[in-house]
Amino acid sequence: MHILVFTKRVPATQEEELRIQGDGKLDLSRLPFKMNDYDNYAVEAALRIVEKSGGSVTAITLGDKESDEVLGRAIAMGANDGLLLEQPEVLHDPYARAFLISSFIKKENIAFDAVFTGVQSEDDQFGAVGGILAALLNLPYSSMVIGIDEVDEAGAVVRRELEGGIHERIRVKAPCVLSIQSGINEPRYVSIMGIRKASSVERKVFKADSYGGGGSPLIRVVRWVYPPKQGGATMLRGELESVCKDLLGILKEKGVWQ
Amino acid sequence: MSVEASKVLSCIQCGECTGICPESGRTPFNVRRLIRKKLLHFSVEDGLPWYCTSCGACTIKCPRRVKPSEAIIELRSAFVEDGRVPATVQKALENTMMQRNPWGRSRSKRAAWAEKSDMQIPHVAETKEKRLLFSCCILAYDPRCMVIPVNVARIFRKAGLEFGILGGEEACCGNEIRRMGETGLFEDLVEENKTGFDEYGVREIITLSPHCMNTLKKEYDLNVKVRHYTEVVAELIGEGRLTFGGSYEKKVIYHDPCFLGRQNGILDEPRSILHAVQGLQLMEFRQSRKDSLCCEGGGGRMFVEVECTTQRNSETRVIEASERQADVIATACPFCVMTLEDPATDKGQVVREVSEILAEVL
Repeated sequence: MHILVFTKRVPATQEEELRIQGDGKLDLSRLPFKMNDYDNYAVEAALRIVEKSGGSVTAITLGDKESDEVLGRAIAMGANDGLLLEQPEVLHDPYARAFLISSFIKKENIAFDAVFTGVQSEDDQFGAVGGILAALLNLPYSSMVIGIDEVDEAGAVVRRELEGGIHERIRVKAPCVLSIQSGINEPRYVSIMGIRKASSVERKVFKADSYGGGGSPLIRVVRWVYPPKQGGATMLRGELESVCKDLLGILKEKGVWQ
Repeated sequence: MSVEASKVLSCIQCGECTGICPESGRTPFNVRRLIRKKLLHFSVEDGLPWYCTSCGACTIKCPRRVKPSEAIIELRSAFVEDGRVPATVQKALENTMMQRNPWGRSRSKRAAWAEKSDMQIPHVAETKEKRLLFSCCILAYDPRCMVIPVNVARIFRKAGLEFGILGGEEACCGNEIRRMGETGLFEDLVEENKTGFDEYGVREIITLSPHCMNTLKKEYDLNVKVRHYTEVVAELIGEGRLTFGGSYEKKVIYHDPCFLGRQNGILDEPRSILHAVQGLQLMEFRQSRKDSLCCEGGGGRMFVEVECTTQRNSETRVIEASERQADVIATACPFCVMTLEDPATDKGQVVREVSEILAEVL
C-alpha cells in the first residue's frame, strides 16, 4: 500500500504563555515547534501497515521552509521520502489547505492508495482538512480512525470512535482518506542520530503558488484575542490558616464538602 | 564501527559487579548476566537495562576495568536507536529535545526560581568573575527543589561570592540523557551549553546537582573549573568567609549521593559544612561514604518505574534513619531528595538538602 501522510509543524504551546502583540497577531518567536501530535500517530499507523504488508510511506507537509523539520522526523521514523509544499504565509483556513494539497496531488500525479491525516492540528484545531481533501479528491473518507483492523488491495477495515465509547467498524474502499485519532498506537521514539541520518535523505520542495497558492481562503483570521475576563472567581487572601478556613467555609456552603 | 567505552571482552565473569550492584539480587536485573549477553551478542530483554541506576559501583569494583555501567548505557543506546524505549523515557527524551529539560517545562521559565526570589541575580555575562551557577533541570522546575538554588544563592551572597546564571540559555546538562542511551541528544546538549559558556567567557562553573557536576567535569572536555556547590561552601567556611549565626539542634544523618561521593570523591566537604553548623549532631549510615546505598534515582531512573518486589533502597535508608533516631536525613543531590522524601513522608521522617539546613542558620 502506498500511503501519503500529511504532517504539520506546529508550535508547542502546552507549557508556554501565549502573547498577543499590538497588531493582534500571536508572538510565536520564542516558542519551540514540533510535529503535530495527531500526525505523529498517523505516520506511525502508516509505517505499521507498510512494515507488515509492504508498500511505501511518503510524508508531505505544507508550510514554510522550517516545516522540513517534520519531514525529517517522519523519515527518521521510517517514511521513504518527504515532500515540502512551500507556503511562506501561514494558511489557517482548512479549505485553502485542503485545496492546495489536492491541487498538488492532481498536478504532480502522485499515486497513492490512501492518504492519512491527523484528526486535527494542535494549533488551529479545525479538524476539517481530511474531510475537505476527500471531497475535493472525490474519495471515500473516514474520520476519527482509532483502529485499522484489516488492510488489503481493495481497501481497509477501520474502527471509528463514536460518542459514548462505541466503535464503528467500517470497510473503506481504496484509494481513500483517513484521519487518524491519537491513541491508535504508540509512536516510536526517534533519536537524534536517526534524525541526523534522515537529513541526508533528499526532500523535494514544491512552491505552493504553482498549485493555486492559498486558493481563496473562506476563513480569514482577523485578530487573536484573549478570552474576556468574567466574574465568578473569588480570590482568597491572607494567612494560610485563614485562607484554608475560608475555603472550607465556601466548600461547605456550596455543598461540595460536608 | 563505533568505539565502545566498555571492555566486555575483558570480563572474566567474576561477579564483583553483581555483588556490589544495588539492583542485582532484588530485581530481575543482573549486571554480570547482561555483560555476558553483550559479549556473546545475545538478545537482551527490553526492560532489563532500565533497572541500572548508573551508581557506578560496578565500574569502580570491576578488577578488569570492564566498565559495566558503560556497557549498560551502550545496551540502552541500541534500544534508543531502535525506538524501543519505555514510554516514560521516550517522553523525557522528547521533552529534552524540545524544551531542553526532561519535564518539558518551558525553557523560558528556567530562571523562574531566581525571578521569584527577592534577589537580583545577574546573567553571567554581566559578572566580573564570570562564575556560572548551573541550575540543573529539576532544581529549575520542580516545586520541591526550586528552593535549593535560592538557598545556595543566598549563601553565596552572604559570603560575598559573585556569580551569575544563564537563565533560559542554559540547557539540560545531559548527564541523565547520556545514561538513558541518547548519545546524539547528549552531543547536542554539550555543544549548545559549551557555545553558551564560550560566548559569555565563563571561567568557573558551580553546579547544584552532582549529576550536572559529573558530566560537566568528566564528559564535556571543558577548560574551566567545575565544582559542586558543597565544595565551594566548604572552602568559604574554611577561609572564614562564611559563618552561621543560628544553631540547628538536631541529629542529622548524611546520605552520600553516588555522583558526588562514590563517583567524584566529594565525601568530606558536605560533612565539614554540616560540622560547621552549631548544635548539629552528625550521624553516619551503616553504608556510607563510597559504600553509600544508592537511592535509585540516577541513570534515568527518575523517569522509569521498574518492577521491584522487595523494599526500595530509599525506604531502607529512611527506616535506618528512623531506627537510629535521626531527626533529619541530609543529602546534597536533588534526585536523592526526591527519592528519599517519598518513603520519608510516609514514615514521618524529614529529608533536607544540605543548603536547606544552612538556610535555617544563615
